Amino acid sequence: MMVLDAFRSEWVKLRRPTLSLGVFGGLAAAASFFVVLLFSQAAAVGPGSADLPSLAVLAQPNGLIHGVNRVVVLLGIVAFGIAAFQIASEYSLGTLRQLLVRQPRRAVFLGGKLLGVLSFLLAAVVFASFAAGGVAVVMAHARHVPVGAWFSATGIADLTRALGELLLAVTGFTILGLAVGLLLRSAVFAVIVGFAYLVAVESIVGRVLPATSKWLPGQLLLGVGQGGNATTSFSRALIISVIYLALVAVLTTYAFVRRDVTA
Amino acid sequence: MLDPDNAAAADLAVNVSGLTKRFGTRIVVDHLDLDIPRGSVCGFVGPNGAGKTTTIRMLLGLIEPTGGRGTVLGQDLASPQSYLHKVGALIESPAFYPQLSGKDNLLALARLGGIDTTILPTVLDRVGLSQRARDRYRNYSLGMKQRLGIAAALLASPELLILDEPANGLDPAGIVEMRDLIRSLADDGMTIFVSSHLLAEIEHICDRLVMISDGKTVFQGEVAGLRATRGNELVLRPDRASDLASLVALVQQADFDVRVEDAATGIEVAVVEAGIEHAAALNRMAMAADITLIQIFERARSLEEAFFELTGSHSRDVAATHSLGGIR
Repeated sequence: MMVLDAFRSEWVKLRRPTLSLGVFGGLAAAASFFVVLLFSQAAAVGPGSADLPSLAVLAQPNGLIHGVNRVVVLLGIVAFGIAAFQIASEYSLGTLRQLLVRQPRRAVFLGGKLLGVLSFLLAAVVFASFAAGGVAVVMAHARHVPVGAWFSATGIADLTRALGELLLAVTGFTILGLAVGLLLRSAVFAVIVGFAYLVAVESIVGRVLPATSKWLPGQLLLGVGQGGNATTSFSRALIISVIYLALVAVLTTYAFVRRDVTA
Repeated sequence: MLDPDNAAAADLAVNVSGLTKRFGTRIVVDHLDLDIPRGSVCGFVGPNGAGKTTTIRMLLGLIEPTGGRGTVLGQDLASPQSYLHKVGALIESPAFYPQLSGKDNLLALARLGGIDTTILPTVLDRVGLSQRARDRYRNYSLGMKQRLGIAAALLASPELLILDEPANGLDPAGIVEMRDLIRSLADDGMTIFVSSHLLAEIEHICDRLVMISDGKTVFQGEVAGLRATRGNELVLRPDRASDLASLVALVQQADFDVRVEDAATGIEVAVVEAGIEHAAALNRMAMAADITLIQIFERARSLEEAFFELTGSHSRDVAATHSLGGIR
């Protein structure tokens, strides 16, 4: 019940127009733009490449999944950044002290905040997925790609599974974002450090020491979001990600509960 | 039969002893004792860095004490969740979400605390923000922000209200507004614990006082009691300013403590630690030494002087006090 109170409190902040329109609209626009690029650049014939499937491949029942898989990184980074910002800004604004007087059970507060931010981001991703799907239908029509297979039982099952995997990955990035934001306590610093790690550090480490890629948290979440990839299988990525995230959640909660609030 | 100690403790909203906080090797609060009777308005004063805010944060469960024990509203200090639902607090400067309206800021706090949100119009009205409730917080004046902070503190219909520097940054009109608001809350029977630099304000609104210095309690008790123990003093002003040194020497010879002080007018006077019963004798002594006194009067020793003496603090802590001393 108290977690629900914290969740409802969080939504008062999340629902403000600038944030909700910005995130829902921004993600939908970004995903849609990606779909436009995918269809406009796809070759009319042949199998295409791993990075850019052909129109023939896109017409298959799992054609839309190619689009979904390619936005995992984008959505993950956005989820990480928003989650980190939401918790770190409580420190920088000084609002945390007010909040913890009203809800001194810090684990409850944190749980409600996680649920609030997570539900917000998952809703935004679902919305963006539907928007991008609509754009895909329009683009398919423009490039004379038959879409009947997308709406077959197989196509819908594939798409649902891909969306589920994407939401799992976003959940992981959100938990990581909250943890980094909470530990660093500075919204700007948390977002910069998080982005630098996910985009630059993991990429460099992965190139220099390829064997480490299948153990890096960002790469593992990418593997979850893509339903498995060349680096790791889905089930392996999911299991190791859950272990990582559980450790992160326990350590972060412990630090949050024990730490003095001087902000 | 009720244990007298327990009965006494039950009359205290805050009853804490040996409260200590150490950050590394630095002791910020050092075995502080606090007794705040229910229904009182208790001032909490001390120089900058004396440990006031740390103490308040420990009472609010934001900082874990290194040592000490006690109760707040009859509940164990170590379990803040057991009493914070009956406590309202404004900690340092008010902190809210700039993009949200005043009302939505309160809504977020009310929901978090499981508080019935129908109370929002009442608390907004109480602090005079009803008309501006839908405006964004970032557009509020400093005084409005402070009042919203008080409104947030009132959400829980608190039995104990803790205000940390509520007049910070306010202009004179804002300070008067804040004082009236605190008085009206006290009239409702709420226990109020208010920290401030502004000794004149504390003197106006508080019936009880806790003074700390370097994290230690240096005084705790009734404001009137503090004044009474400090006694009154006599102010002597010679006709000729050049006679002041001779007057001081004369008074010292008579075994009185005396100091020179700038009066509000900029004229130096001798201030003698003595009551009105000594006025005639001092006047005769001055006349015998050919010093004419054009002013001699008794005055109560101010809280400010007691503060100086007890805390050993200096001017940086009371600059605001002087500038606000005239607001009555």
